[in-house]
Amino acid sequence: MEIRVNPTRMELNRLKRRLKMAERGHKLLKDKRDELVRQFLILVRENRELRERVEKELSSAFASFMLARASMPLEVLEEALMYPTRRLELQVSRRNIMSVYTPQFQWEAQKEGEEGNIYPYGYADTSAELDTAIETLARVMDQLLELAEKEKAVQMLADEIEKTRRRVNALEHVMIPRMEATIRYITMKLDENERGALTRLMKIKDVVRAKV
Amino acid sequence: MPAVDRSYAYAYAVGRIRALERRLIDRNRFNRMIEAPSPEEVLKILAETEYAAAMAGLESVYDFEPALRDELGRSYLELKKMSPRPEIIDLFLLRFDIHNLKALFKARYLGTEAEMLYSFGTLSLPLLREAVAALDFRELPPRLRCAAAQVADEFALSSDSQAIDLILDRFLYDELVSSSREMGSHFLEEFFQKQVDLINIKTFIRLQRIGRDRAFLQKVLLPHGRLGPEFFIALYGNSLEQLAGELAAGEYGPLVGEGLRHWLERKSLARLEKLSDDFLTAFLQRGKHTPFGLEALVGYLWAREMEIKNIRLILVGKINRLPQEAIRERMRHAYL
Repeated sequence: MEIRVNPTRMELNRLKRRLKMAERGHKLLKDKRDELVRQFLILVRENRELRERVEKELSSAFASFMLARASMPLEVLEEALMYPTRRLELQVSRRNIMSVYTPQFQWEAQKEGEEGNIYPYGYADTSAELDTAIETLARVMDQLLELAEKEKAVQMLADEIEKTRRRVNALEHVMIPRMEATIRYITMKLDENERGALTRLMKIKDVVRAKV
Repeated sequence: MPAVDRSYAYAYAVGRIRALERRLIDRNRFNRMIEAPSPEEVLKILAETEYAAAMAGLESVYDFEPALRDELGRSYLELKKMSPRPEIIDLFLLRFDIHNLKALFKARYLGTEAEMLYSFGTLSLPLLREAVAALDFRELPPRLRCAAAQVADEFALSSDSQAIDLILDRFLYDELVSSSREMGSHFLEEFFQKQVDLINIKTFIRLQRIGRDRAFLQKVLLPHGRLGPEFFIALYGNSLEQLAGELAAGEYGPLVGEGLRHWLERKSLARLEKLSDDFLTAFLQRGKHTPFGLEALVGYLWAREMEIKNIRLILVGKINRLPQEAIRERMRHAYL
């Protein structure tokens, strides 16, 4: 379906310019999409590996945490973990992937109290199984943050790919064919007009010649 | 024979405890609970026991903790009433004061409200709350006052939350052993000393695994054990087999041997923890039939503690679908 326009030469020129622009845009967007997909695939692969690793660690941490929970009264467990020994400072900056701004975390664990001690509790009434859980959780924390960063990036890239793909498709299957059709229509109309004018001229020429 | 340990005054209490003991959950019932298909089924079995009243008001199985806590509190208060010397039960209640203090201190330094406090310590909660809020410990008993002041000083210096627990734990066991010594009860003294030893052995292994230095171990070891701190400090850094070897000839030999074997195979101290509790149960069982002594009282309190530990283990296990084997190997021996 073509666009409704006045079939004038000016309009034709304008449309031709727009078509050229659309084609260039289409090519650029297509390149952008391909690059986005490439980046996306790399990220997704990293993300999956990381996620599997984190999930494995977490499930073992939860298992030992559950065992610790089973061997300690809730009150004692709660008290033991009330006051963390570490405080995490998280700074969020941006990273530009094909003009998608994904978050980038920088974190620093600030240790309170004794250097390097991740166990905030005493040893007399806590179960040793809590040590294992805390140790695994402390180890997995860095990876967890990394995972959060990657996961968000993947999500944003997916959104962007979807948007770009829709734009590319709109250009390819709607905008460009439509403009081409319109151009064809205008050219034909103009040609038609020209032929009409020509015939008219010839007709007039005949009439004039007959009178002379 | 010291007066605290042996007295006809205990006859009445011992008689009542004989009756209470009958109501403890026996092995058969525990077996049924372990084999129960769901936590709800476990509650049903519990409804046939002493816990019926406590468990009746539960809205869901997940809320079992307060019920267990109330049951425990009830036992302690009941025994305190019937004991000819309530101060002995107070000694056992001190643990809850210490817990409350730890929680209150941590909450104060975090700027939050302390939750999950025990209401049946020897000191009232408002008193403790006020003391910690104002960092004014004049209302506390003298020795506790010193410990609390030490906590406040230490935290002001290092803002290390672990120090709160360490200082108060040390105070608790110091107090338990010295008080029972002052009361002249060999039995209690021995019981607490054994507890201290078992905790120290476990702490030794835990710290060695975490990789803390000798100075820290010295700070954490509890005083008054039958095995002195020197014993542990000298061994620290050596292989654990050496610890087992040193202890092999003593009374802790079998439990440390087996606990460590389990530790090396599965990297879990659960076995050692279970065996430690069983060791204390066995120790108390020996005095169970003394007709005129506090052994029966202490034995019953311990039995209740173990019973509640087992119930918790089964319930948490069932809620999280732990295999029966994992629950069974952690179950403490019944006192009966």
